[in-house]
Amino acid sequence: MQLLSTLRRSPAGNIIIVFVVAQIACVVFGLLFPQTFPYLQARSIGALLVAVSPLTIMAAGVGVLMISGEFDLSVGSTFALAPYVMALLVNNWGIPAPAAIAAALAVGAGIGAINGVITLNARIPSFIATLGAMMFWRGILLALSQGASQSFRPGGWIQALFTGAIGPLQAQFGWALVVVAGVYVLVHYHRLGNHIFAVGGNLQSAVAIGVKPYRVKLFCFVLVGLLAAFAGVVDAVESSSISPKQGQTMELLAIAACVVGGISLTGGVGSIIGVLFGTGLLFTIQTVLFLLRAPGEYLDAFVGLLIVVAVVFNRVTRKE
Amino acid sequence: MAVERSEQPEAAPVPLIELRQVTKDYGPIRALCKVDFQIREGEVLALLGDNGAGKSTLIKILSGIVPITTGEIRYRGEPVQLRSRQDSTNLGIETIYQDIALVDDMDVMRNIFLGREETGRFGLMRIGSMRRKAMEVLEHTVGISGIKSPEQMVRGLSGGQKQAVALARAVYFKNKILLFDEPTSALSVRETNKTLEYILELKHEGVSSVLVTHNIYHAYKTADRFVVLSHGRVLLEADKADTDIEGLTRVVVNT
Repeated sequence: MQLLSTLRRSPAGNIIIVFVVAQIACVVFGLLFPQTFPYLQARSIGALLVAVSPLTIMAAGVGVLMISGEFDLSVGSTFALAPYVMALLVNNWGIPAPAAIAAALAVGAGIGAINGVITLNARIPSFIATLGAMMFWRGILLALSQGASQSFRPGGWIQALFTGAIGPLQAQFGWALVVVAGVYVLVHYHRLGNHIFAVGGNLQSAVAIGVKPYRVKLFCFVLVGLLAAFAGVVDAVESSSISPKQGQTMELLAIAACVVGGISLTGGVGSIIGVLFGTGLLFTIQTVLFLLRAPGEYLDAFVGLLIVVAVVFNRVTRKE
Repeated sequence: MAVERSEQPEAAPVPLIELRQVTKDYGPIRALCKVDFQIREGEVLALLGDNGAGKSTLIKILSGIVPITTGEIRYRGEPVQLRSRQDSTNLGIETIYQDIALVDDMDVMRNIFLGREETGRFGLMRIGSMRRKAMEVLEHTVGISGIKSPEQMVRGLSGGQKQAVALARAVYFKNKILLFDEPTSALSVRETNKTLEYILELKHEGVSSVLVTHNIYHAYKTADRFVVLSHGRVLLEADKADTDIEGLTRVVVNT
């Protein structure tokens, strides 16, 4: 009971409880009906952890930015553009893969920085600035690619770094955990994290105390871009190809994962652990629907429902 | 009874902070006009006046949030610049705002140390040490606190408890000058008395306080000196010995 009440008071508490309950339900059904609901098959668990990784990496960044009180709708475009540039550099220019990966990350950070500068200098809502950026960069990518996909097979140690495994832990999920752990420490234990919560929670107060909101928010924008690009790279190595259309609506899924994970849409509230479990819950639902052989379209409907329920739930429980 | 500013004796000790002929314009609007203003060592000064008299502007100037248009600021007789929050912090000035002091969705400890976090390697916060110090200063500082844990969220606190956190923040960092912007407006009677008592306690430790308030009664009870602003000008400056509550009320009401 002690644990439960501690959990409920923490910002990630609700989502952890819901996640655990969902897992228990799935495991029970998996044990009862191993034929019709093979949830516990090692293969499906492994596939789930690989599939969940890019969104987890992206959502970790999106969550930090949302805590600071801003949005980035362009992460889906960055998720495609950054690795596409990487693949072009390798395939057309013969640039070594490590350098190309660095370039992809630079593209992501650059897009984030531009979003930040436009939002903060022009004093416009980031929602609008990054909506524009989402369409702009997607358009550039479609023009650049003529709609054609690029293959990306770096081979060697790069391949191992992103698709290998240490025991049961696949590299993709390992990267996701590394990112989440890093962002978690940053947000909850670094002084910058304290400032991120402050500018998102009460901008006036933060300014009065001497926190510099421009620097703090710009940092968050760059981090989001960087992690969206990194998510794109992880996904590209896994699937060996990059489509100029990939990552569409992924920005909304990332925001959904954050909201379901307990991050406030108005900033200043949330936990990175919540984002991890929020993403996990989205993919659990996806897996369940898949195992039940429900048509893919149902996923959107469920995710939509989940977002609204999660926000209502968070509001109600916070009022208590 | 009141001593006009021009009749002020010249031989007073060097003030901690002195504003000389300070004017502040917001575009075409003149918020302060050639204001002379002093904060002396170890005094409680009440800053009175109607809405729009320039009290907030004066506080913001002293906090380093808004720059002066013309005039001079001196610290212990030496000309200084107050261009940023950092400048005013460096002079030991801390502002305690009535409504925007704290971040509701952060815990008590993080609020107290906001902007001045204790950090170790890589800028990571020393949570343990900050928690211990937060608790110490809260216990020592204000009896009104009743805050159970430094990890309690500010959102759930009462007005007095929030004030206690803001005070703890000001006191912990050993500030010499505390600027209180309407410190008692959100408090219960008991909490108000505690806060005013605490301001007097701090005075005995050598801390100067400026009390911006609408409540002349609170001001009279606590302050040693009174400055009344009206339309951006100093209307009255008086020591407690030279005025009484009726005289003060008359001046403020007639502004």
